[in-house]
Amino acid sequence: MKNILGANDDLAALNRKMFADSGVVVMNLMGSPGSGKTTLLEQTLTRLADKIRIAVIEGDLFTAKDAERIERAGVDVIQINTAGGCHLDAAMIQKACASLDLAAIDLLIVENVGNLVCPAEFDLGETFKAVVLSITEGDDKPLKYPLIFKESAVTLLNKIDLLPFTNFDVKSARNDLTTLHPSIKIFETSCTLGTGLDAWCAWLLERAAV
Amino acid sequence: MHEATLAENILNIALEAARQNHAAKVFKVGLTLGDMAGVEVEALNLSFDVLKKDTSAEDAELVIKRVPISATCNQCGKTFRLERYNFFCPDCDGVLILQSGRELLVDFVDCE
Repeated sequence: MKNILGANDDLAALNRKMFADSGVVVMNLMGSPGSGKTTLLEQTLTRLADKIRIAVIEGDLFTAKDAERIERAGVDVIQINTAGGCHLDAAMIQKACASLDLAAIDLLIVENVGNLVCPAEFDLGETFKAVVLSITEGDDKPLKYPLIFKESAVTLLNKIDLLPFTNFDVKSARNDLTTLHPSIKIFETSCTLGTGLDAWCAWLLERAAV
Repeated sequence: MHEATLAENILNIALEAARQNHAAKVFKVGLTLGDMAGVEVEALNLSFDVLKKDTSAEDAELVIKRVPISATCNQCGKTFRLERYNFFCPDCDGVLILQSGRELLVDFVDCE
């Protein structure tokens, strides 16, 4: 019996050890294209960059657009282009980390390729996974894509300011998230209005300070 | 569409098994896939059929066994089969811990 993802899992275990040895907490940030991952990241960096040392790995199919945005926040950023690949894997992270001084950072944020399916299956060696679900995607997504929500320690219900314009049922989404993953942490955020960002950043800061 | 990556890994495992057994041809590759593993079987078969060309697994087919999602309560210890991804114990206040359903395994490689 052989694990189909065994080769990736082995590399992820090496990454996890490397991160632990360097005392770096790693967040694997996932979510659909357009869910607001990069904007959330920008807002998070603005709030946390003077409190802890952060670096970012940006996964993207072809462009460096997101990395350029993050760089403007004054944070070290490494771009990985998957050239059409739908997810990051442990080998890409290992390679990217070779050009990072892990000892000089507290928190490494990996922004995965926008996708609710594939990234959930690939362990990168991260400390925890986070998934962004935007209001316009619909409240049925947790049960439609259970694995990613089961795997993630935290879900951000993002673009919460758009609630009045959609039929998204927050109570139903929260209920589905919690039955699927009883210990999951849920934040309601809006990067336009700033809603929930302080609470989210406080939580993240606490995780990163371990 | 990570099925292409999965198919590539499956093919590598099968070819390696054939090499170790000094086999010239792979006939079947048995897989165990959990119901909660994010795999589209159709996409997996398609990817495998493309990748296997011009290898010793050229005529190989995937034989797939699915595993239902089961979870055990952290309080009463009972095991349940899950239908709607509800990880709260139906019998007590406990929380269900996943036991099966995430499998992505190559069970056997039939080669000669």
